[in-house]
Amino acid sequence: MPELAFAEMGFKERLKVDLFPTIWCPGCGIGTIMIQLAMVLDEMGMNESNTIIVTGIGCTGRMGSYLKHESVYTLHGRTLPVAEAIKQVRPEMHVVVVSGDGDMASIGGNHLIHAIRRNAPLTILCNNNEIYGLTGGQTGPTTPTGTKTLSSPAGNPNTPINLQGLVRSSPHALYAKTTVYHQIHMRNVIREAIEHPGFSFVDITSQCIENNGRRIGFASANDMLTFYRKTYKRAPKDATELARFEIGVLYPDGHATNGTDGAAAAPAAPAEAPVPTKAKPAVDDEEKARRRAESQKRLALMQRLDPEVKLRVAKGELTLADALREAGIDPDEAG
Amino acid sequence: MRRLTQGNEAVFRGAVAAGANYFAGYPISPSTEILNVASSWASEHPEFRFLQAEDEIASANAIIGASLAGAKSFTATSGPGFSLMQEAVGYAQKVGVPCVFVDVQRVGPATGMPTMPGQGDIMQVRYGSTGDYSPIAFYPNGVEEAFRVTIEAFNAAEESLSPVVVLSDTFVAHLNEVVDLDEAAASVKVVPRTLVPLGQHEVGKPRFFAGVLMYEHGPNAGEPATADADEYVRQYYAAKHRHAEVARRYALYEHGWNRDAKVLIICYGIVSRVASPLSADYALFRPIRIHPLLADELHAIADGYEQIVCIEANDGQYADMVELALRREVKRVPLLGGRISLEAVRDGLDRVLGGGPSEPPIPPAPIEPVERSPLGIG
Repeated sequence: MPELAFAEMGFKERLKVDLFPTIWCPGCGIGTIMIQLAMVLDEMGMNESNTIIVTGIGCTGRMGSYLKHESVYTLHGRTLPVAEAIKQVRPEMHVVVVSGDGDMASIGGNHLIHAIRRNAPLTILCNNNEIYGLTGGQTGPTTPTGTKTLSSPAGNPNTPINLQGLVRSSPHALYAKTTVYHQIHMRNVIREAIEHPGFSFVDITSQCIENNGRRIGFASANDMLTFYRKTYKRAPKDATELARFEIGVLYPDGHATNGTDGAAAAPAAPAEAPVPTKAKPAVDDEEKARRRAESQKRLALMQRLDPEVKLRVAKGELTLADALREAGIDPDEAG
Repeated sequence: MRRLTQGNEAVFRGAVAAGANYFAGYPISPSTEILNVASSWASEHPEFRFLQAEDEIASANAIIGASLAGAKSFTATSGPGFSLMQEAVGYAQKVGVPCVFVDVQRVGPATGMPTMPGQGDIMQVRYGSTGDYSPIAFYPNGVEEAFRVTIEAFNAAEESLSPVVVLSDTFVAHLNEVVDLDEAAASVKVVPRTLVPLGQHEVGKPRFFAGVLMYEHGPNAGEPATADADEYVRQYYAAKHRHAEVARRYALYEHGWNRDAKVLIICYGIVSRVASPLSADYALFRPIRIHPLLADELHAIADGYEQIVCIEANDGQYADMVELALRREVKRVPLLGGRISLEAVRDGLDRVLGGGPSEPPIPPAPIEPVERSPLGIG
């Protein structure tokens, strides 16, 4: 497959590219999460008519403004009650919650506990950078013991919150752990989480170089990603618990996948799972294959255009058909 | 059908008559019956969604989410719970989310005098959340009125695109009266849903609901305007004027009793019922739309009276607003600690009309001798 420019890829349809560059610091991990989410949305046929994004305050919360979806930027910590109510009123919609660890586990911790208890059929992507980034780098609920932050100059004296244990306290909830370095893994687990009918929580370890990484000894975002690459390992397939530096997916019955098998390997939800379920995406394998072929054909045609024209097509100023006509290229003729 | 109905139940039935199909709440006396009725209604009507939230913060945010998703939503709480909801109220004001908050007042704080009635949330409704906003609020004094006013509250919320408050108190909430709500419903029109639900927008133009100030028009439409004071001022006044315009359509009040008397009594909610045996000697002004202040109506009515006395179960919260608007003295009879009785009203009136203070003659609490200095020295 030829190397593709970002603007040519199909998932950009899910992004408000004209608002780029984003407000996030150079080296931030949130953009990676957003791209992977956009890819999954594109792949699963989720669009602005069937998917709503709910975000909370913090760096991560700004993601809602860059996705081409109806989105709600909620008060700090209040993503889950808003998302749960939206899902109650519109059960046919997908509701994806994107939020930071401080928002989710600290100020919104009570809502998290009870959304898990009620098995709210939501997909939660938690950008876990182990710090309060937007306010300059204070200790968060997930900050490891001993880490020096602006609010713990002698090192964090407390134990970080056990998100895995919290989510796994419910017999119906899916817990997945991944990192910003493991992008394909991240994409797979996001898909599995969206396909899970009950509460699903994707804990994404992500780097905040500006307000955390540099203070704790990393020279660059690249250093942090290298650390993730070297430290995090895939959990064994039969794992029932993920260790500190393991990535993978834990299904409600204890079955783990390493995030490469897709939903096919996932067992069905337990029979006693409560009634509310996520609407299954209206895309079967055939449709997926058709879309993939279409997108590849489009890409091949794009490759034959001048770079400037290509950019205009990518920005939506010109349709591909018009561009091809102007360039005198017959779309049905092999390139 | 005429039936014995409780105040809280009438509020719930009013909401349903207005088309409400979402309730989120957390149990708190004296509003709990609304939650109870909502849950049993939801079990019989699957189109009506119900959430017993983990706290009042969650219920307030849930009704915002439900409203954005297309439901007519409401919650019910008491003063302490309403304090927890205030951040969400301010957010709903800024984002423009139509929804209804029912606040059944008691004597606070949460641990205060939970079983006693109060009217201490008049200012909380007006100024409780951070920043400037112009809330619309109603306060009925009976079961049928609670029903009608709740419908009007939903209508005003839809028209103003803002959260509207229905105030009540322990007595109004637990009052049982024989009323015909079907007949009452027939005389109130219902405003249909105004805000386009999430996901039913014009395709290609997804919206971003945020408290963040955004440009609404012009070349930068949809982009943040978080540092543009002009844009803030423009949007703030647009909302304020819209709310005022809608509020004008709901200028509900009662001017009655002996209109030819020399003294005008201002009271609302249960106090107006308790004081009604005095109707031969005084004129009554009873605001039903309690916010924004009925300033024009008060100006027109108050001119004809020698004295104005505001009787309320708080320390003059409404009286302050009236005094400020009319620029003349308003005497106060505060009924504090849940003592809302005709006797207390009579005593208070005699006292203030005789030139005495608004504070009742309560012997001061004995002052315990201080053994240690407050600074802990010596």
